[in-house]
Amino acid sequence: MASSSQIQPQPGAGRIAAAMAGQPQAVLIVLLLLLCGAISLAAAQFYSLANIIAILRQSALVLIVAAGMTTLLIGGEVDLSVGASLAFTGCVAMDATNRSGSVPVGALAALAFAGAVGLFNGLVVTRLRVNSLIATIATMMILQGGVYLYTREAVQNQHHLAAFTGIGAGYLGAFPIPVLLAAAVFAAVYIALRHTLFGRYTYALGANPIAARLSGLRVRRLKLAGFVITGLLVGVTGLILCSLMNAGQPTAGRGFELTVIAAVILGGTSLAGGRGSLIGTLLGVLVLKVIDNGIIILRWNQDFQMVVPGVVIVAATWLDTVRVRRRAV
Amino acid sequence: MPQSRNLLRVLTRRSEGPLLLCLLAVIGFFALASDTFLSVRNITNVLGQASLAMMAGIGVAIVFISGEVDVSCGSLLAAVAIPLIVVMNATNSLALGIAAALALGGVVGVVNGFLAAYLRINSLIVTLGTLFVLRGGVYLYTGQTAIPDDAGLESFFQLGNGRLAGVLPYPAVAALVLLLVFAYVMGHRPFGRHVFAAGGNPDVARLAGYDVPRIKFAGFVVSALLATCAGIMLASRLGSAVHVAGLGFEFQVVAAVVLGGVSLSGGVGSLFGMALGVLILSFLANGLGMLDLATEWQLVVTGAIIIAAVSFDEFKRRQKL
Repeated sequence: MASSSQIQPQPGAGRIAAAMAGQPQAVLIVLLLLLCGAISLAAAQFYSLANIIAILRQSALVLIVAAGMTTLLIGGEVDLSVGASLAFTGCVAMDATNRSGSVPVGALAALAFAGAVGLFNGLVVTRLRVNSLIATIATMMILQGGVYLYTREAVQNQHHLAAFTGIGAGYLGAFPIPVLLAAAVFAAVYIALRHTLFGRYTYALGANPIAARLSGLRVRRLKLAGFVITGLLVGVTGLILCSLMNAGQPTAGRGFELTVIAAVILGGTSLAGGRGSLIGTLLGVLVLKVIDNGIIILRWNQDFQMVVPGVVIVAATWLDTVRVRRRAV
Repeated sequence: MPQSRNLLRVLTRRSEGPLLLCLLAVIGFFALASDTFLSVRNITNVLGQASLAMMAGIGVAIVFISGEVDVSCGSLLAAVAIPLIVVMNATNSLALGIAAALALGGVVGVVNGFLAAYLRINSLIVTLGTLFVLRGGVYLYTGQTAIPDDAGLESFFQLGNGRLAGVLPYPAVAALVLLLVFAYVMGHRPFGRHVFAAGGNPDVARLAGYDVPRIKFAGFVVSALLATCAGIMLASRLGSAVHVAGLGFEFQVVAAVVLGGVSLSGGVGSLFGMALGVLILSFLANGLGMLDLATEWQLVVTGAIIIAAVSFDEFKRRQKL
């Protein structure tokens, strides 16, 4: 970071703080370490392999969608329909697999459905020029209503295919398949954002849409791509979730959109567009899921799973605001 | 006729014109499609149902106009019912219960406003955090059950269920009075001017000598207190503090506010537009229910109408430029 060298060395502990201030994700890394340390002191089983895998699997579900959401937010848009789409996609995936008896067909159906939702969102935002916050709230309503028109109750697993169960619960070597999928998605989106023209254009678009348009970027197409990518990633997650639950649940994913957005913003991605990183999103997801896990392991009332993240999101954003401001002085 | 042309011009020139036409179209459609829609009883019922979103919407619109966002109202609706019912059960006094509810709402507003306006934390995050914390707090306190109203005060029952002159539900009366008061404040008092200035261009407002953080802070407090009023009315209707009350309410309110032409980027919007947005969505939900459509269709059609209305508005705006 070029700016870290401009900070004047301060005496004593201030120096460490100053060095930390140059690292964009410093607050989150420290927070994550503190959380892990504190929880493992209170409950030793935190560091058991089974528990770590549980945390990673939970994180994978959020991270896959959060990767798409990060791209969208960097481009200056947002998608609130991901939770509703997740539930619908799960039902579609299970239904398609039941009817066809084939896992690839089910997976394709999930991706096609969720991708189409993303395309719809993207077209409404780019062609009809509806603000993405309101457009995706509307899509959320349509999907929430639509899923009940599609199925009144959970779509049960009637095919009992081992490969289908494997998507959520299986392992490849020592690694759970959802975690591997998340890692692949993470790597792909990371490279796309950091090392391709698509990424550079997306940052440019979010930072200044007018300048981006005037310099000849295909703004609409870029935004559309962001929505479709997010949609497809919801498809992947919907497939994993319905495999894990062994049913397509119309009520699944309620509030999921808020968790995803909280993780992305906690990771330092700006709501105003143009600023953000996928590494930050990864840390944001891990912090939220370690907190969730800690609450279970410490046998606290599970309702704290709503309270604690709420406080953490606000506190971390505040620390980040302070850090950015101090660096700017 | 010149008079009707005048009326038409006023309708199309004012930003609320298209919304009013949209509302009339919705009402007209359902009046033709259903025999029972256009009865006094049904219309006043809808106004009663719309009043909760209307009250909370006034506050959310003010916060939006000041250039910030407030999505905490859904959880606040459930949270304020707890002190209301608990204090009322303990003291048998409606006034003390309402005071306790307003105290909690005020504290939430002060916290939101302090964090967002003075510590300058992004307000979507702050109020998202409050949304989580309050809902979690409600679940923790109630153990995920409803707290029934044991005092059984007639005045408390009347608050949400009674009707002025036997016709207009009290919540609708309260919403209307609050709407008129705040529309006057926003249009004709310094506070309104300050809010529009702070949201329109905060730097210019600051240089012009306005205390921008204080204006935004006030907006959050007003918004929380208005959501509290809605929460009190809802608690009276439900006759208890229900832990799942107001789930997703924030989305309804934000949708209505934006549908009503309040800009998400601050500085633009009117409370009458917001009110029309609320009414359109409420009449739509009611009318669709009367057509014996499955309730799920209500969500689908409402979503589609929001997209249609906002894109039409956007289309009109671009044509004008």
